[in-house]
Amino acid sequence: MAFLPLCTTDEIEAGASLRVEPDNLPPLAIFNLDGEYFVINDTCSHGDASLCDGEIEDGEVECPWHNAKFCIKTGKALTFPAVEAQKTYLTRVVDGKVGIEV
Amino acid sequence: MTDQYKISLAAGDTSFPCEEGDTLLRASLRQGLGLAYECNVGACGSCKFDLLEGEVADLFPEAPGLRPKEREKGKRLACQCVPLSNCTIKIRSGPEYVSTIRPARINARCSSRLAVTPDMAIFSFATDLPTEFLAGQYAMLSIPGVGQTRAYSMSNLPNQDGNWEFIIRRVPEGKVSSFLFDTLEVGDEISIDGPYGIAYLRQDAPRRIVGIAGGSGLAPVLSIMRASAGLPNTHGMPVMLFGGRTPRDIPDVAKLMEGSGAGIVFNPIISAPDADAATAWTGDTGFVHEFIESRLAGPLADNEYYLAGPPPMIESVVRLLVSDHKVPANQIHFDRFF
Repeated sequence: MAFLPLCTTDEIEAGASLRVEPDNLPPLAIFNLDGEYFVINDTCSHGDASLCDGEIEDGEVECPWHNAKFCIKTGKALTFPAVEAQKTYLTRVVDGKVGIEV
Repeated sequence: MTDQYKISLAAGDTSFPCEEGDTLLRASLRQGLGLAYECNVGACGSCKFDLLEGEVADLFPEAPGLRPKEREKGKRLACQCVPLSNCTIKIRSGPEYVSTIRPARINARCSSRLAVTPDMAIFSFATDLPTEFLAGQYAMLSIPGVGQTRAYSMSNLPNQDGNWEFIIRRVPEGKVSSFLFDTLEVGDEISIDGPYGIAYLRQDAPRRIVGIAGGSGLAPVLSIMRASAGLPNTHGMPVMLFGGRTPRDIPDVAKLMEGSGAGIVFNPIISAPDADAATAWTGDTGFVHEFIESRLAGPLADNEYYLAGPPPMIESVVRLLVSDHKVPANQIHFDRFF
């Protein structure tokens, strides 16, 4: 496992998200929930929508296309039409950089 | 002559004409564009768009397809908006939404009605043009004077005679279905606008056809089963699972399939065996999704699925197929009316 930095902590405001496209990985969505950072796959498991275009509320992100909700911390699909979880990544902050263990 | 407005899409240089009174969605589909949609009745939210320029009237401002928060942000539904001027809109589109058969409005006369269960009947309509649609699609029916439009799926097959058949369930308090059951007489005229829908039979899918239906979801699945007669049977006999509440809610599918030339396996399932003690029931009892594993031989990912019925049924079936059995989502077809 190695730490892969994705962005700096000040690039994402609390309650917001950032889409990144690292090499050799699918597009990722980084969320800042009150200073805690979480990374999940950005492309909705149901369609091709970017979850970074979705509303964030109560630790959940809502897909902008069909309104399926996912738990940002666990990736779990909470509402139809999504039934499959988003892949989550072990996320850490190191020296002001948000990254994942890959 | 009615006025026509020019609707431009924000992405690229595409535009299409929209007749006064037509919805943005239907007008675009008539022109061969692929704006994203599923239900056409304001329920699913697939056709949400941003109005960048121009003015529209919203026919159904409380449509459940949009969240209050989305409305606050200015989102609208293309299936419920008619233009009042030239407009520029930002909306998702894709080749999967392009209509192979471009939808059109036609006048139709009721030609017969035949009960299939206590609360469902086949309504047949005659038109002067050949009936063109893909098995599994639906049309919008509107009744002069009622001022409401409903989406109903065709249960027959395309034909040169201009016949359209719909299986319609009487909805308690439902304005349109009450009119159809209680007031409409043979010879009366209504308007049919179609075909619409993306849950049509994939003729070249190299897999066994499985139809799963509940209630009036019978119509599109029956059409697909009938259409299977024209396909090579190399992937196994098509299977239809049908869920009803009581034995009386199970239609005589063998009889309905007569003359189609298609052989299918029909597996009815009821959920309320005690509700109608007068009829003995020896078949499956429970919910449809509970019988998918046991009644479909072989890996579930080897089938092409067509679903129509109550939202909880569709949700349970999709959950089982996709989550538990890893059936690729593009092998499961349904129009989401919720």
